Amino acid sequence: MNDTVLVLSIASAIVTGTPILLAALGEIVTERSGVMNLGVEGMMLVGAVAGFWAGRGTGSLLLALVVGGIAGALLALVHALLAVTLRVDQTVSGLSLVIVGTGLSAYVGTIGDDPLLQSASGITVSPLFPEAMRDLPGVGPILFGHDIVVYISWIAVAGAAMVLFRSNVGLSLRAVGEDAAAADAAGIPVVRYRYVATAIGGFAAGVGGTYLSLAILGTWQEGLTAGAGWIAVALVILAAWRPLLALIGAYVFGALRGLGFTLQIADVEVPSDFLAMIPFIAAYLIVIAASANPRWARRLKGPADLARPYAREAR
Amino acid sequence: MSRGVRVQPRGAVRPGIRLGIPLAALVAALVAGGLVLLAAGNDPIEAYRTMFDSSMNGVNAWTRTLTLATPLTLTGLAAAIAFRMRVYNIGAEGQLYMGAIATSGLALWLPADTPSLVMLPAIILAGAIAGAVWAAFAAVPRALLGADEIITTLMLNFVALSFMNYLIFGSMSFWRDPERPVPQGLALPESAELPILSGRLHWGIFVAAGAAIGLWLLMQRTTWGFDLRTIGDSEAAARYAGMPVAARIIVVLGISGALAGLAGAVEVSGVTGRLDPKSLAVDIGFTGIVVAAVARTNPLGVVPVAVFLAAITTSGSSLQTVGVQSEIVLLLQGLIFLSVTASEFFVTNRVETPRIRLRSAPPEPEGAGA
Amino acid sequence: MSDPASAVGTPGGAAVLAGRGLTKEFYGVRALDEVDFDLVAGEVHGLLGENGAGKSTLCSILAGLYRADAGSVLLDGEPLELRSPIDAGKVGIGMVYQHFRLVSSFTVAENVALGMKRRRTSRRQLETEVAELADVHGFEVDPTAQVWQLSVGEQQRVEILRQLYRGARVLILDEPTAVLAPQEAERLFEAVRQIADQGRAVVLVSHKMREILGHTDRVTVLRHGVNAGSGITSDLDVTDLRQMMFGTSDHDPAPRRDSHHEDAGRPVLRVTDLRVTGDRGVPAVHSATFSVGRGEIVGVAGVAGNGQRELHEALAGLRAATGSVVIDDIECNGRTSRQRAAAGLSYIPEDRLGTALAPGLPLDHNVVLKSYRRPPHSRLGFLRRRRIQETTEDLTDAFDVRGARKGLQVSLMSGGNLQKAIVGREVTGPHEVLVTAAPTRGLDLAAAGAVRDHVLAERAAGRGVLVFSEDLAEVVDLADVLLVMFQGEIVGRFARDEVDVDHVGLLMTGGAEELT
Repeated sequence: MNDTVLVLSIASAIVTGTPILLAALGEIVTERSGVMNLGVEGMMLVGAVAGFWAGRGTGSLLLALVVGGIAGALLALVHALLAVTLRVDQTVSGLSLVIVGTGLSAYVGTIGDDPLLQSASGITVSPLFPEAMRDLPGVGPILFGHDIVVYISWIAVAGAAMVLFRSNVGLSLRAVGEDAAAADAAGIPVVRYRYVATAIGGFAAGVGGTYLSLAILGTWQEGLTAGAGWIAVALVILAAWRPLLALIGAYVFGALRGLGFTLQIADVEVPSDFLAMIPFIAAYLIVIAASANPRWARRLKGPADLARPYAREAR
Repeated sequence: MSRGVRVQPRGAVRPGIRLGIPLAALVAALVAGGLVLLAAGNDPIEAYRTMFDSSMNGVNAWTRTLTLATPLTLTGLAAAIAFRMRVYNIGAEGQLYMGAIATSGLALWLPADTPSLVMLPAIILAGAIAGAVWAAFAAVPRALLGADEIITTLMLNFVALSFMNYLIFGSMSFWRDPERPVPQGLALPESAELPILSGRLHWGIFVAAGAAIGLWLLMQRTTWGFDLRTIGDSEAAARYAGMPVAARIIVVLGISGALAGLAGAVEVSGVTGRLDPKSLAVDIGFTGIVVAAVARTNPLGVVPVAVFLAAITTSGSSLQTVGVQSEIVLLLQGLIFLSVTASEFFVTNRVETPRIRLRSAPPEPEGAGA
Repeated sequence: MSDPASAVGTPGGAAVLAGRGLTKEFYGVRALDEVDFDLVAGEVHGLLGENGAGKSTLCSILAGLYRADAGSVLLDGEPLELRSPIDAGKVGIGMVYQHFRLVSSFTVAENVALGMKRRRTSRRQLETEVAELADVHGFEVDPTAQVWQLSVGEQQRVEILRQLYRGARVLILDEPTAVLAPQEAERLFEAVRQIADQGRAVVLVSHKMREILGHTDRVTVLRHGVNAGSGITSDLDVTDLRQMMFGTSDHDPAPRRDSHHEDAGRPVLRVTDLRVTGDRGVPAVHSATFSVGRGEIVGVAGVAGNGQRELHEALAGLRAATGSVVIDDIECNGRTSRQRAAAGLSYIPEDRLGTALAPGLPLDHNVVLKSYRRPPHSRLGFLRRRRIQETTEDLTDAFDVRGARKGLQVSLMSGGNLQKAIVGREVTGPHEVLVTAAPTRGLDLAAAGAVRDHVLAERAAGRGVLVFSEDLAEVVDLADVLLVMFQGEIVGRFARDEVDVDHVGLLMTGGAEELT
């Protein structure tokens, strides 16, 4: 039966890691364009509240994801306005997004005659593949046991990798992030690319937040992301801005978040507060270890023009 | 032939603009908040009047506001000094918890009959040191390896929060009151309580005000502050001038952590009287970032901004009486943060539309290279 | 000659590209004032003027990078709305900027294809196309190489290839020879002639009259943002051009005075077996050994990217190195930049805004950037603001620094005034050696002359001076001893009277083996 524990743990890590993966994937696209958006946590929260509201109203998971994504994208566009057009400090702008997102979601979730808080979503998230496939020994639960969103995220990872590294659009996007002046001179619309990339990042974070509330938690509560957005921001750096590495990293963090479940089955007793710390300690240690290793650190530099606003007529 | 909007740097910015534009942004944020209230079916005028009455109208209201403004000033200063150097310590929240843990721990450990004159300086210093040490976990890797301090300070917040929760809710620790079945921190001895001025307002306010003035002097008037301002503007220029950049980063993050730890210390010693995670984990550290940003990292500006944001925050509970969800105050803080941040662009740049732009003066003798 | 209308008219053939009444201002300073300009297919058109005369501004408007405040651009006689370089590229106008606009982590082929509309070509196919195009024009470039690995001359060829690949009808080259060795410049001119012979129009921007006279068909001269005249090159000589450029035909640099310092010649900077590693972790300077004597100017010539930057940064203590650096008899290797300054080193880096100056801070802060810890600028750790103010005023008076206002961030001041302030800061106060990189780059003639005079004054005062410059003419003019750097090595050393510019140029491009 130990096999089953491992298999179930991996399967659960995949589900738990999916919101982080989606958010990190979006942030990779954003940062590849040279915009650093630290507001992932805020965008996930806003996505979650909008998505939960839409899901509760319509009963459709896909519609909820789209609405959550659009809400995240709208908040991201505020960051784009500040960071790209008004050229304010992107760190400060991103942090302001976190606070706005936290406040907005908390407020929206508690107002009205029938607040979202403590209400049921009425959505059941079911696995995509038939039971026969899910019950295959070993690979079944890991490959076929999930709901549609997990598979969408896999397609998104492959798509992001293809677009970023194999397409003209990706070449242009990376050029904007590496050297905005060079991209501009080559005729690439820098501002448009940055706005779109930022909106994509917000959309992905919003979808991640919606999935977290509807499919994983099943309820809406204030501050439900509990740092998942920040883990996603750290993951972007640790994955060296590469979608495939982000997939692996997200599942590792998913496993760490789900460690309590695994340890419970394995009969190991660890105080829950320490379990809650583990993903954050891991992220902390990995960031430092990565910076300490020169070869790794050189890869961790990120796009050369990251967080640098671009103004054409600056002399 | 010229179309669209023209943007020109203002150059030397007059004080009227430097103050006026962020103030206009603040008003804009309040108007936006009012529109949200309106959309939710509330009366914004009534809501704002209620907020004003409960936070700024009368001695009791002011006492409540200033009590919260005390730790907010300290976390605001913590963020301001680091942000000024473009080192982003967003770990004030965790450093505050660690300060609170150290202060309460030492107060409980020292004999209860230790005189206040010894007890208070000792425990408050302990809080500051604990905050600094917690910040050092991010500062040293940042200075020596270049490890991203935004990520590390933030991760350390979650670790500190879980640790504090563990001490009270997760274990029968030294900090927990063994008598009570419901988890609660052990009350500090009377000698460890900061003297009260009025209501719950305590002497910590002098600590906060003193820190603001001291920090301003340090930044503006000393060679050490000269280093900080240079590093914040351009690390390359600072290295060129021979400034010890790594050492300054460690010390500034240390001071930043100490200020946040101080906030935790005065909260424990002046307000909660015990290690009480529920009343400590109320985003004082994060709101400090808002304070610093709105005050444009000026230590003297931190004080009024902290008071203003404290007023908004404390009035949240009174809003329930007029049927407004108290969560609106979080949204208001965010809107103010966002709007004042955006206004920075209009402080440093003049934005002209073609119609009102005047024909410019003839060229000056020196040529403009393009 | 000041009236453009009196200039020689357009020769046979209609203008492919023209500017009418082009005007552009930056921060209240008029960089371009009602300039007319005509360009004909098949010609190489020289655009001449000193730094700051408005050449780059004019080109940037023609290439869609800037929008003119007034005036119009005509293509084949039709008014043209250029909102961006994209618009310019679409109608076949391509520009090669002085500072290359290449993504250094991308390959040559990727840079050539960058920003082109969707075309279904594989990476392999693209690389073949780029290689073929390069062959046609006699450019030797490896399409799969990453740009950061290329020399400056090769990068320039990539820029030109990129414009040709997009089918540019008009090619604008902004100061293309500023960064090249003489022999590389000759190769460039040959390529330019060939490009024009294909029926394209080429604008060649320069502030060097000899280049314009030797390699263009027609010339337009700008002075203080005004069209100071144009004409057929073969009808003009140096005197005419000088008249148009400066409004006067006599223009002689200040005479050079010899140092009569008592210690003249005694080494004040001795560098032995210095090895420096570059940013990418590869060796950038291999075993440099030389010395600078009192009252002596040592010049270092070389094409950009051959280890000069790493060398002077290592001398200043901004970059780790092995070997020995002795400043005024004090061994300084391993010491901090502040200790080196105390030993007598003054240093003017290439990068003014960002390294030599903190761009967002006002002038008074920057004037005391290195002396703020010493009396009279501070006491017991407290700054003395009045003394700092006095020092700033003294310096702006003595070095003719204009445009500073209280609280004005220096990034909004002009390059010439900034460089004068930097030079003033570095030559005031105790020091024995001055190391300076690209001291006059981008400055107009008056500012460049002032900086040059200060460098000569240092020499006359018996200090050692080390000048790095990519401008061969400048460094030859200044140096008592000329060193040549190529790929991190000092490949040549010449006394002032032995300097042969052709020989130096050959060494700069790796021709050492052929000679020995």
